[in-house]
Amino acid sequence: MTAGPGVCLSIGELSDYWTADVFPDDMERIEAHVFACSACTELLADVDRLRRSIGDVARTGGFQAFVTDSLLNQFARDGVRVRAYAMDAGGSVQCAVWDDDEVLVTRLRADFRGVTAVDAVMRLDSGEEWARASDIPVPEGSRELIMALPAALIRRAPEVPMRLIVRSSAAPPGESPLAEYTFDHRGAHTRRG
Amino acid sequence: MTGPDTAPFVDRPDGDLAREVASAPAGHAAAAEGELYRRFARRIRLFGVRHLHDDMAADDLAQQVMLIAIERLRAGEIRNPDEIGSFILSTSRMVATGLRRTERRREHLQMRIEAGEPVDLPRDERLFDADRIRPCLASLRERERTILLLTYYVERSATEIAVGMGMSAGAVRVARHRAVAAMRDCLEAGRPA
Repeated sequence: MTAGPGVCLSIGELSDYWTADVFPDDMERIEAHVFACSACTELLADVDRLRRSIGDVARTGGFQAFVTDSLLNQFARDGVRVRAYAMDAGGSVQCAVWDDDEVLVTRLRADFRGVTAVDAVMRLDSGEEWARASDIPVPEGSRELIMALPAALIRRAPEVPMRLIVRSSAAPPGESPLAEYTFDHRGAHTRRG
Repeated sequence: MTGPDTAPFVDRPDGDLAREVASAPAGHAAAAEGELYRRFARRIRLFGVRHLHDDMAADDLAQQVMLIAIERLRAGEIRNPDEIGSFILSTSRMVATGLRRTERRREHLQMRIEAGEPVDLPRDERLFDADRIRPCLASLRERERTILLLTYYVERSATEIAVGMGMSAGAVRVARHRAVAAMRDCLEAGRPA
């Protein structure tokens, strides 16, 4: 049993330890505590497992999120197979995934100036809601959002046109959307040979 | 006169174990040495992963530091055994600096604590299954999920993430702390009872 000197570390301090954000003095303080406290060793090891596990899931494209170019660059470095589309507001695209695709990325272009966050709803041709994302942060003056979806999810999606409607999170009900995009989903394809 | 401490090893403070190693003839306190090794190898390994960014180098660091610590204890060269954690941390810093400088990492695989079988390092850092991580990641708020991916997959600082997401660095850190805590709660809740 190892007694911990003083108050144990918070999950925030221990998660910062694994990032570039930790200040040298804080790093030394955290290490001094962990080397004398078994409970905080457990917690630090847990956060280490968590961050590695997130990295592993990300490396296989196993998440859906609105991302940045830096994440796409990391995909490229890791050899993740990405199928990419770009769409202007009001546009439509015939889209499909191939059997070796891991991630589907869509660059959603529109004038997002003056908007700090958006909500996005994907609806099937019938009007039924298929997916929703809320409070997506928008950098100031942005003209593009990057949506990443696992190819496995797209393979399971119905082969019908789908409409993505993007609204400002701050917009009152009934206000017109910022942009709409139509995905004419053509399913999953297999390469021959 | 005080008799031998019969408390279970896991319940004894680090300083007690260190004193036992220091006071026994060399190699006659194997159980205390083993318990010290079990406790500290893991901490050194976490330290090594953080500073050396290499799992094998972190393993080497743990082996080498514990070899030094136990030899110094046996030789009675550690003045205050109650400060064993502090000694091991400062030795870890020194050895890690040496490992970085010389890049002689592979040589240290041969180093073992003398007497007895080679001791396996604790391997409790197995990753969480992707099937457990994915739903927990999906349950986060959009911005929290993106922040975790950018922090732990792309290894971006809070300042860099803030620029890409139109948030302040402080807000990124707060969201990251909340997201890590939520992920731990979600993974705990999914554990079989």
